[in-house]
Amino acid sequence: MTDEKHKSTKKTIGSPTSPHLQIYKWNISSLTSIAHRFTGVVLYFSIIFIVWYIIYYAYQINPAESAETCDCPLKKIFDSLFSLAAIGVTFSLYYHFANGIRHLFWDIGKGFDVKTARKTGYLTLFIALLLTIITFAIVIYLKLW
Amino acid sequence: MVKISHSTKTGSHHWLMQRISAIALIPLILWLVLSLVQIAQDPQSYLPVFFAYPLNAVMGILLIIASMYHGSLGMRVIIEDYISNKTKMHFYIMLVHFISITTAVAGVVAIIRLHLIG
Repeated sequence: MTDEKHKSTKKTIGSPTSPHLQIYKWNISSLTSIAHRFTGVVLYFSIIFIVWYIIYYAYQINPAESAETCDCPLKKIFDSLFSLAAIGVTFSLYYHFANGIRHLFWDIGKGFDVKTARKTGYLTLFIALLLTIITFAIVIYLKLW
Repeated sequence: MVKISHSTKTGSHHWLMQRISAIALIPLILWLVLSLVQIAQDPQSYLPVFFAYPLNAVMGILLIIASMYHGSLGMRVIIEDYISNKTKMHFYIMLVHFISITTAVAGVVAIIRLHLIG
């Protein structure tokens, strides 16, 4: 009886998808794991955008003189959106870089115990935040914004 | 005996290639960050001639190829995890490959052009 019930639910559920983000209790391990994926997707689309910008730049008649001088309001909105996106992309890059190295250590069997994994999890988040702050401190210092 | 299906074989290959491209990306990302620090000091004079230097052109091309490869492998894993409909899944994986390869090839051509005219 229970076996039949189990079978029928299995049929209706269909092929499973994972990981089920909604039903887990959050902790540092799951947070760093999903953040790795999320920042990876952010970086994938950012790189595509940046590469196509380089392509656009390369095929201007004279790239050296292509400094955009338009002073229209729409450009200002775009520029401020751009700055916000730049912070997100910068954080994503540092985070994915640091956590990627953490993953590579796991792959050679190092730092796998729960205590160390939790510590390095907080460490990657801290490093990524610190590097992001340093980067934008330099950007503001050089008056690039 | 464990029956090894085709997907199992390519899965372990992808797993390994994901790690190899990750290791390749470590020096390339360090180069990118250091380059951006240098460019940031005087964008007007550094940017137009940046890819004229052979090292920058080579590192830029390698970065585009490695990141697009690493990115498409990562996107593939995510698509496989979240899209259960097989037809849709294969469609999105193909779409990611198409976008990645087109972007990488066009990017390499653009960097070669910037290298030659810089």
